[in-house]
Amino acid sequence: MPERRRHSRRLYAAWYASGALMLLGMALWLYLMGAYERMPLPAALSLLMLVATLLSLSREDHSRLAAYLGLVCGYLLIAVELPRQEGLPALWVGLPPVLTLLLLPLGPAMLLNLTLTPIWLALLGNMELERDMLLGYLTLVVVAALVPWEQVRQHALLRATDPRDPECTAVGHDTLHEQLANEAERASLLGQPLAVMLIHLPQLEMAEEQFGPRARQALLNSLCQAVGRCCRDHDTLGREAETTFWLLLPDTTESGALFMQQRLAQALEQVNLMETGPVEARTRLYRPRMDESRQRFEQRLQADSQRLADG
Amino acid sequence: MQTKYKVGLLRVNLLVAALLLAVLAIATTTLTEALLLGLAASWLVVTALLLAFNHRRPAMVPWQLLPGLLLAALLWVNPERHVTWLWVWAVLLMLPQPRWILVLEALLAIATWWPLRDLLGVEQWVLSGLLLAALMLIGLSRALDLRSLRRNTLHRARLVPGLSLWPGNRLTHDLAVERARSHREGAHAELLLLHTSRHHCWALAHRLCRLTHRFEPCYRLDPHTLAVILITRTRGEADTRREALWHHLGTGGQGRAIALPALESLEAERQALRRQAGDLEVIGAPHDA
Repeated sequence: MPERRRHSRRLYAAWYASGALMLLGMALWLYLMGAYERMPLPAALSLLMLVATLLSLSREDHSRLAAYLGLVCGYLLIAVELPRQEGLPALWVGLPPVLTLLLLPLGPAMLLNLTLTPIWLALLGNMELERDMLLGYLTLVVVAALVPWEQVRQHALLRATDPRDPECTAVGHDTLHEQLANEAERASLLGQPLAVMLIHLPQLEMAEEQFGPRARQALLNSLCQAVGRCCRDHDTLGREAETTFWLLLPDTTESGALFMQQRLAQALEQVNLMETGPVEARTRLYRPRMDESRQRFEQRLQADSQRLADG
Repeated sequence: MQTKYKVGLLRVNLLVAALLLAVLAIATTTLTEALLLGLAASWLVVTALLLAFNHRRPAMVPWQLLPGLLLAALLWVNPERHVTWLWVWAVLLMLPQPRWILVLEALLAIATWWPLRDLLGVEQWVLSGLLLAALMLIGLSRALDLRSLRRNTLHRARLVPGLSLWPGNRLTHDLAVERARSHREGAHAELLLLHTSRHHCWALAHRLCRLTHRFEPCYRLDPHTLAVILITRTRGEADTRREALWHHLGTGGQGRAIALPALESLEAERQALRRQAGDLEVIGAPHDA
């Protein structure tokens, strides 16, 4: 996922850079055409776009700021150039809302588009066209917003249906709890023992602060890989909270679970990460008590996870 | 909860957009434009009605083609009036759609921009072309983000949030895991395949999830075929359970139950299911059981 973000960030940077070039080209063109009084604006805006390019390239995430800068450039250019265009105002009035929708998330974009409506129409002021233009503009804003809406829906749907945690190969919180309920039901139906191993990675919080997201990812990956190596296919590793994981061990007796705990500790001992050193993991084993309902068992696990995470 | 709310808002937005397009259709003077705008409005209304928060239907190709074609037609029929819509090409590229539709839309965008030369004058024509190209690039980059996310996620995502209904491509892996597991545990596991009409399949899938235990995952193999892995203590229990399940499901199609030790090839069983004459056939384990 970070890979993807980096990729698209570079694309945006390229986009801002080409915007800066285009504005520079425009200034040059105006200079050659002898329209000196119109030249300073595109020249100044191209500098602004240059700043946006540098911002979007920087290590920290300034993408929102860069987007606003790009937007301001677009707006100013349109606002100054449009009233004096001999061309079609109907063409140019469509540009700002689309630019907004492309650069900003849906909510702010819609807010901005609707608030700016009177400004654009006033700038393009052409009395007899006004009503048609207003209708056209509003329709454009509403129809064009449907596409980002669909993207929002798709993202939400993927988040709601993906069983995995967004950061690693363990299953996510909701799926984990569902899986625990499933395994408890299956265990009671088939009369089999169930064990749960609680795993806490105390280094995880510090890793990001001290060494950045890559160190954190390496920690997560090494846990998931170690579990993958020493567990059976039907054991489920799930992420209960930021730093705590549950490993569901169906059909496992107390001694089997102890054996698994040892193997996992050994597997993690062998890992030595570059930044954080050996992986530190605190594990504890749990089994449902006699006459303990699934809900109570789950509550006990949750409470202990919380206590472990708090130190 | 929050996601349901989002779908509701999207539906409202679709209907408002359809309404505005309908008003535009009434306001236009020529019949062709009115027809095109009316068609766009009805497309939005139908989309709003079909909208649901699950992976039930992947959008069909003609359905995805329509917005692009309508936009192009509108810009060709009366560029002077509808020229505002030229910029929508950039937004349209953001939709998740097959690569060739993206290419087609880019070509259509060029084809609708080109004739504007006389209308705009060379300077503005070039400027608008450059701007449109730049905007389309942003649109494309946002589409590619979503597309890679979908490609990485869809093969493992459930079909409905919160329901244990999975895409068919997980079944082969899950069968292998379950076969080894039930063998170790000494439980009886069998695969039940159900064939039904396309129309009933979705409702049947919901009923299947409701009537089976939570730990028994259900799969949709194709628009006609569902599968579920049933787990019981003994073979005798499996028989009674399957009978009861079959009775309550009321599939109206064929069913085929295969004990996991007897299952050799999923593909062969699916074909056998399609050719099968009887209602419910049971393929038991080989004689050792």
